[in-house]
Formats: sequence, C-alpha cells, structure tokens
Amino acid sequence: MDAAIVVNQLGKQYRQFHPDRPHTFIETLAKGFRRLHPTDRFWALRDVSFSIAPGRMVGVIGSNGAGKSTLLRLVGGVGRPDEGTVHASGRIGALLELGTGFHPELTGRENVFVSGIISGLTRADVRERFDDIVAFAELEAFIDSPLRTYSTGMQMRLAFSVAVHIEPDILLVDEVLAVGDVAFQQKCLDRIAQFQANGCAILLVTHDLSLVRELCDEVIWLHRGQIMGRGPAQVITTEYTADMLTESKMRTPANYPTIVTPSGTHLKVMENRFGSLELALEQVQLLDGLNRPITSINSGDPVRIALTYRANRPIPDPIFGLTITDESGEIYYDESIAGSALGFERITGTGQVVIDFERLDLSDGTYFFDVGIYERNWSHAFDYHWHVYPLRVYGGNSKSILWPPHQWRCVSAEAEPTHES
Amino acid sequence: MTQIRQPALRQINRRKLIYMRDLIWELVRRDMKLRYKGSLLGIVWSLLNPLAQLVVFTIIFTWILPLDIPNYALFMFCALLPWTWFQTSWTSATVTIVDGRALIKRPGFPPGILPIVSITSNLVHFLLALPVLIVFMLITDVPLTATVLLLPVLIAIQFLFTLSIAYITAALHVQFRDIAHLVGVIVLLLFYLSPVFYDIAMVPAQLRPLYALNPLVPLLDGYRAIFLRGELPNVPLLTLLAFLSTVLLYFSHRFFMHMSYVFVEEL
Repeated sequence: MDAAIVVNQLGKQYRQFHPDRPHTFIETLAKGFRRLHPTDRFWALRDVSFSIAPGRMVGVIGSNGAGKSTLLRLVGGVGRPDEGTVHASGRIGALLELGTGFHPELTGRENVFVSGIISGLTRADVRERFDDIVAFAELEAFIDSPLRTYSTGMQMRLAFSVAVHIEPDILLVDEVLAVGDVAFQQKCLDRIAQFQANGCAILLVTHDLSLVRELCDEVIWLHRGQIMGRGPAQVITTEYTADMLTESKMRTPANYPTIVTPSGTHLKVMENRFGSLELALEQVQLLDGLNRPITSINSGDPVRIALTYRANRPIPDPIFGLTITDESGEIYYDESIAGSALGFERITGTGQVVIDFERLDLSDGTYFFDVGIYERNWSHAFDYHWHVYPLRVYGGNSKSILWPPHQWRCVSAEAEPTHES
Repeated sequence: MTQIRQPALRQINRRKLIYMRDLIWELVRRDMKLRYKGSLLGIVWSLLNPLAQLVVFTIIFTWILPLDIPNYALFMFCALLPWTWFQTSWTSATVTIVDGRALIKRPGFPPGILPIVSITSNLVHFLLALPVLIVFMLITDVPLTATVLLLPVLIAIQFLFTLSIAYITAALHVQFRDIAHLVGVIVLLLFYLSPVFYDIAMVPAQLRPLYALNPLVPLLDGYRAIFLRGELPNVPLLTLLAFLSTVLLYFSHRFFMHMSYVFVEEL
C-alpha cells in the first residue's frame, strides 16, 4: 500500500537575527537594511526521512527544541522545507492548538461552524456532523449559549469534538490529549483508534512516554533535529529514558554531602541519587495513617509518601514521579504528575507534596519507593532517589503480587460430602 | 488511467472552490455577528462615523466655505460611502495576517483568504448603508435611473483594486509592524486628494495630471455618475483600472504567497 506520509531528507533551517533587528519600517530606514539579514542560521531539522503507512500511529518523542513541532508543522504544509520533501496524501486533520477561531461572544453553535470550517470542512459537512459533534462534546443543553458562559473544560470538549469529526486521512496530534476528565479523554482516544482502524495515519508528538507505549506502533526519537532512533515503541522509549538518565548523571554534582535516611540507608550522589539537584528532595517519608514514619506495614494498610523539596531557583512546572518496585526491578506502580496539575506552575523555596494510598494491597515482600522530580520536558532529573526507601509488607504470601481484601467460600457443591472427621 | 484521474481531479477542485466560498462566508459572518452582537443598533453604530463626517463637511462646505454644489449632503454622502469601504477594508486587511496568526499556523488554512474576508466584511457594511443613500435621494427628489445597475461593476473593480494593494501591505506588515501606520497616513492624504467632499470638475487643470494617477478618482466619480447624475461612469478609465488592478493583483498575490512561507516563522 502507498504510504500516507513520505518525508525524504527533510531539513528546515531557522534564522537568527541581530538582536537589534528592526521590526518597523522606520527603524529599518534608520538602521539600514543590512540588519534585516539573518546573522546566523541553524538547522531545526536535518536529514529526516521516514514514511508512514495508512493506519499506523507513530509517536515523535524528544526533548524541547528537538524539532518535533517543526516536523509536525512541515508535514501539515505550514512553512516550506529548506531541504528535502514532504508528501502527505489526503485530508489532513490537526489536533494542534485547539479552539482556533473560537470567540467567547459567539454561541457554541456558531463556534462549531467557524471552527469546523477552519479545520477544513465545508458548511454542508458541518451541518451534517453538527448533531454528532454536539453529542460527542455532551453539550446539547448549552449549544446556543455564548461560549463565554462555558467552563474551560466545556470549551476544550467542544474544540476537541470539532477536531475529531473531520475524518482525516492524516492526523497530526501535538500534546493535546490531556483535555477534560478521564472519561472524555478515553472517548477521544477511542475515536483516534477508530480513525486508525479506518486507515488514518497518525503522527503524535508528546512527552508522555507511557501514552506513546500504549498507543503507538512505532516511535521516532528526535534529538537536535535529527533522528536518533526509530522502531518499536517499547524499545525506543527505553533507549530514550536511558539517555535521559545519562543526561541526569552528567548533570549530577560530584561532591554533594551524603545523607543518612531514617531507615539507615546512605543517600549518596551517583550511587542511588541522580540529578542536577537545583530542585532537591530534602526529605522523603513513608508514613502511616496517623502520620508516623513507618518501615513496614500489613498488607492493606494506608501509606502516605511525603516529599519535601527545596528549589535553589524558581523551577517552572517540574514533574513529580513515584515508582514502586521490588528488588528485581519489577514495577508495581509507576505514575508521574506535573506540578501544574497539582496546582502550581512554578516551584520556589521549599514545600511538600504528598501521595496518599488509601490502602496498599501488595502481597508479602520488600518494596522500594523510588521518587524523583524531573524537568518539565523529561530532559533530565532534578533529583531521583533510587532504591533508597524500602517498605516491608507483611501478609498474603510471597508468591503473589497482589493481596486485596478477599475471601474464599463455598457457594454450592454437589460432590459427595467427605467423611466427617 | 488519466480518464479515471481527471474527473477525480475536477471533483477535488470543485470541493476546494466550495470550501473557499464557505470559508470566506463563515469568516465574514463571524465578523458581522461580532460587530452587531450585543447592540441592536449595531448598524447605526457602523453608520455613525460616516454620518458624523457628513454632518461636519456639510456644515463647513454649505455655510462656512460654501462650495457651489447643489444638494451638497447627498453629493458628499454618495462618495463617502465607497470611500469608507475602501479606507476601512484596506486598513483592516493590512493587519489581518498579524491578527489572524492562530489561523495562519493551522495546517491547510489558506492565508490569502484573510484580506479577502476583511474587504468582504466591509463591503457588507457598505451595502447595508446603501438604503440610507437611497432614502436621501428620495427625500431630495433625485431620481434613481437604470445606470444604478452598474453598481456591481464598480464594486467589483474597487474590490479588485483594494485587494491588489492589500496583499502587498498585509505581507509587509508581518515584517514591518508600522506598515499599518503608514497605510493610515496614506489613507488620510488620499482622502483629501480624492474627490470625496469636492467635485473632480473643481480641480484646476495644472493639478489634473496628479489626479490622473489616483485610481480612486474614476471610481468615486463613477458612483456619483450612476447614482446622482444618471450617467455612465468613465468607462475607458475604469476598464484601464480594472486591467491594471488585475495585473497588479497577479503580482501582489504572488508576492503575498511567497512571503506567506515566512509568516509562520515571523508570527
């Protein structure tokens, strides 16, 4: 089958200008036209070649400035490549900036029309899909109210709903899947899966590696405008994470005082502690339901993890992560959350973040609580404590992983009763 | 193979045309709704500016510096309306790319549509004000003749001309953010150098060559000819203007498209 997207030797150069570059005609006359010329050029993207078959979903990962968005834009036909070619066949749908063309004074209905047409539908197309769009966004009752009366969540739902009703041959997605509540997100993901099943080629740019692993057939890893790796999602994301760890190691200061944790473990840089430490985890505590420090629990007890941090300088939107593993590295829990999702856009000074498990239904064994704070684009860790905080869990049996509340009983039996003994 | 491909190609082009039409239509409608929403008197508001100008100029040139023009208010109003259309559409089309940066960055959005939308929106205002002109004519007993049927031709030529210069200034404004100010100054000068509040016949012979260079002269006088005098406009000059505007449009559109690849980086 013919590929939906063919990118061949693609290169895009960005120009850098004199800091005094005139922005007005009058200034240009005063300073001369010479300053209009770029002083420097750099390649935002170079030698990038790949092709995507219809029905495939390809993730694009990489740190900020790696060229991900530039690539997406060029595939979408916005801007002109300086080298190479892009062929994208069919209708292109874009989930880039949602709600382009939305106006607060217009009603939901009017905004659906404007936004649908801006996204590439004709009026007849929008009319045909209108009821579906509104139903998908679950906004039937509000569709004739002005958009300014909508909550942010409602606006995003409407924008997303318009965007997923284009039925594109190629879909470009840039970090916008985190809209609305979980149920709505799932609905959007289902819709995207449906596109894919219908032969839509999808290019997804995201920092969310677990999403990439979950959704993508293949991953392209960009680094400074070039392809560092390309292949199955699991393999490439692992390589990428390893590279991030290397980056974190490089940034880890060599002589930082070793700390002894309450449980007696030595917290030592380059051994079990990695990161640039501009934002450091000063104290990590495992607590019980009464906020008392613990080193062991009975299976099913509540556990609170309290992270006390200190920032040497303001850090924009860091990511907090917690992984629960056992000694062999098997992962039982892995979750990370951006500071902005916790209610702060930037971190200054000290503070505390807590993670509450109402009950921890792990089976008998020793587990490690690995905690970390990462740069907002996952480019490196600020502070990562590896296998420093153990927790002994009693109860259940050591062959099981999970030990939730449960019981065994007989409901009905036709077998001969055994001899009473 | 070609036999199969060609109808498909035609279909795509047809779809594209329908799409362009719908896009312009919907964006113009959005402009209209936004302007008239929240005030039922919206149309009055958009008329207020030319009406205020009309009152001032009528007072000045009827009583203070009397010009020998009968029915001066109607005479002035007839050229003021198309002038206002030209002025508002050129100035708003110039900033439309910068203002519409979110649209420009969308895959598949044709940037060339934005100046067309600005000019069309202001054309609608112009058309909405025309009944006022007709009422003026009825009150002052000026007969409406068949020459009024040429109105769409004049509108088409003015549209063409405005668009051909708007593409240039809109593209330049992305690079030089003071182009809009420059356009403002040019518009101010043009107002006095065009026969809006005076008659082209009053311009002395030695200044005529200067006026021959002003494309607005045959247009503005054309509106007066078809509405007030019941005459044909200056057909040869208007034909020349239509021709030159088409040529200019070809080049300015090319220039605009050439620059449009830079827009995404500049915006």
